[in-house]
Amino acid sequence: MERPISPFMFPTWYRFQITSSLSILHRLTGIALAVGSILLAWWLIAVAAGGELFAATHAFIASPIGMLLLFLWSIAFFYHLCNGIRHLAWDAGHGFEIRQASHSGYAVLAATAVLTVLTWLYVFLA
Amino acid sequence: MANPRSLANSTALRDETVLRRVRHFGSARNGLQEWRLQRLTALALIPLALYFVASMLWLATSDQATAAAWLASPVPALLVILFVLAGFTHALVGLRSVLLDYVHTRARLLAAELLVRAAVIILGAASVLAVLKLFLGR
Repeated sequence: MERPISPFMFPTWYRFQITSSLSILHRLTGIALAVGSILLAWWLIAVAAGGELFAATHAFIASPIGMLLLFLWSIAFFYHLCNGIRHLAWDAGHGFEIRQASHSGYAVLAATAVLTVLTWLYVFLA
Repeated sequence: MANPRSLANSTALRDETVLRRVRHFGSARNGLQEWRLQRLTALALIPLALYFVASMLWLATSDQATAAAWLASPVPALLVILFVLAGFTHALVGLRSVLLDYVHTRARLLAAELLVRAAVIILGAASVLAVLKLFLGR
């Protein structure tokens, strides 16, 4: 039982590849978004309850930690969305060539960056 | 799937499970359903999640009354409930697949699965209840 088992093969035994890196990133962002759904439920409950709970929730979200979490979740959201569409294209049988898979991977990273920047520009300018 | 030469026919996106294709390849009980549920909720979540995030940006600086009035109107209430249901279903299938890959002890796997299921059901039901409360005005 001394053999290495998943996920510990990744940094030590395998060389860097854009495809495998983005694959593990898809899972990590998925887990992050699942954790973020706690805040989603919390916010909905706070709106329904009103009063002090809403004030406390609003204060938490507007705090530096709250804004940092929202910023990280926005990156995770746009990445998981764009890479999810990439996955759906694969499921439909498209883009399996290594060059295509690598190009679509960089396209996903670029789209994530653009969407995140646009979102936060809107937040701070509008 | 009208075109038999389409690549999609050789993936699990095709409409049926063909017994001869899965024989000798292990269990074919429920895996395909779960796989398909993950993709169907993913498709639903593309517009639903974008709608929710756009709404949050629009509501960002608003007070409780504005947010409550928004959730009390029919279209947002419906879309937020659908977003919550699709989102938590998608999260449950995804988290389970991560657990199945990385938790190697039966007892730990069972405990983790029960925990994740309980969390998703409680958070999802509480979210739907919160929207219903506002929508029904109670």
